[in-house]
Amino acid sequence: MLVIEKLTKAYGSSRALDDVSLSIVPGQFVGVIGRSGAGKSTLLRALNRLGEPTAGRIRWNDLDVTSLSGRHLRDWRRRCAMIFQQFNLVGRLDVLDNVLMGRLGHTASWRAVTRMWSREDRMLGMAALEQMGIANLAAQRADNLSGGQQQRVAICRALLQEPDIILADEPVASLDPRSSRIVMDALQRINRHYGMTVLCNLHSLDLARSYCDRLVGVAAGKLVFDGAPAALTDAVARELYGMEAADVIDTAPADAPAPEAAAALA
Amino acid sequence: MSFSAELLHRPGIVLPPRRGMAMPAAIIVLATLVYVAAFPLLGISLASLWNGFSQLGLILGLMLPPTAGGHFALYFDALLQTLSIALLGTLLAATFAFPLGFLAARNVVANRVVHLLSRRALDTVRSVDSLIWALIWVNVVGLGPFAGLLAIATADVGALAKLMSEAIETADRRPVEAVRSVGGSRFMEIRFGLLPQIMPIFASQLLYFFESNTRSATIIGIVGAGGIGLHLYEQIRVLEWQQASFLILMVLVTVAIIDAISQRLRAALIGRRG
Repeated sequence: MLVIEKLTKAYGSSRALDDVSLSIVPGQFVGVIGRSGAGKSTLLRALNRLGEPTAGRIRWNDLDVTSLSGRHLRDWRRRCAMIFQQFNLVGRLDVLDNVLMGRLGHTASWRAVTRMWSREDRMLGMAALEQMGIANLAAQRADNLSGGQQQRVAICRALLQEPDIILADEPVASLDPRSSRIVMDALQRINRHYGMTVLCNLHSLDLARSYCDRLVGVAAGKLVFDGAPAALTDAVARELYGMEAADVIDTAPADAPAPEAAAALA
Repeated sequence: MSFSAELLHRPGIVLPPRRGMAMPAAIIVLATLVYVAAFPLLGISLASLWNGFSQLGLILGLMLPPTAGGHFALYFDALLQTLSIALLGTLLAATFAFPLGFLAARNVVANRVVHLLSRRALDTVRSVDSLIWALIWVNVVGLGPFAGLLAIATADVGALAKLMSEAIETADRRPVEAVRSVGGSRFMEIRFGLLPQIMPIFASQLLYFFESNTRSATIIGIVGAGGIGLHLYEQIRVLEWQQASFLILMVLVTVAIIDAISQRLRAALIGRRG
């Protein structure tokens, strides 16, 4: 179980995270929602220590994540994979090499440095790509792919880490609606099939409602909602999103294809 | 809502800003004055240039037709030596510049003191021209191509390392973050986050330096650091203009060939997307 206790992150006098406490049961698909700048990214990046919290504690079972350093910290990062809004692939390397980056935590340094990945790792990489429907792109340079394809490569990279948790930081914010669906479906599959815990920052309330088991609302660095998607009323959402509420609630769900369009695609 | 008419007529927004011609005119006048005033101070007289023109024409006439004077094998050998000096010098510079570039990059070495010291050291080495380095090395290792090679290497190591460190600092940091997020070590962050971005830039810089070093290696030959420059200097000294022009042509053709090859290589290195 992932336990976050009184987590605070301060930048000077302003607080990006303010006394956030949260427990996450393994296997959950948790959506972190809130307006831009609410502290969603800060929360996720504190969990794998890409950003250092100012105060508070993070525990994973008996492991005190906040006190880790060196090899132990790297091992923890291996166990909680991150998916980035901008995919963060190595553009000049091919797709399979990018996926195999996920094996760095499992591979001897000399093998990794020379990119002499083991046969097993390569097979694992190809299997992951096949699962995401992009095995045919394995030899392409990563920066030649579309956004949706790149994000699926990033998911494969995360899978190869064999993580316990996946932290997805706005994974679909740079994607078109169709690619968004594909990527969210992939995250859902991983959650269901492998039982990996997924923590996903989402701006779109619609996506959050349709994919997550549990929603956590953050506003101005504070935890303001924690419950099932059904419990999130429009009134709460309005409070959560403030001025942006109209964008995420009142509009027709732009992310789902209209029925006619779906029929045309089929 | 339309914007107000007042906004339309305010200069600098929709209309081009009103700029006077006074400033450019003043700069031109001032520059001319500085130039003219400098002539008597430095003892430059236009008359000497005017009188010398006939001399220049005479020299050009004496250069034709270029001829090797039966020394082609000797000159060709010297040309190869010049090329070797350029190539080996560039490679030696690269060997040292590569690690130094990382040392001088702020996003790799967080220590401000190390960063600052390495930057200063590189700047110092860089500010001394290869010709001066050649004079120094000739005194250290004696006349010949070894001194030339060392001169090229020392003069370039600073510039190459500086370019490297700048390329490293402006590299996209997202892949670096990705490597960190999978649990990669600091070394792996550099290996996979930075190196793939840096290598093509570095290789392309090397090719460019090799090109320009072919020219430098000719010059430093004059002070005894080996190669074709020495012959060129000798032929000019004994007023063998036909052979001098032949040597100049040899260098020109070689540089042109290297330019053409390295341009292709660099284009291939950078690679095309899509």
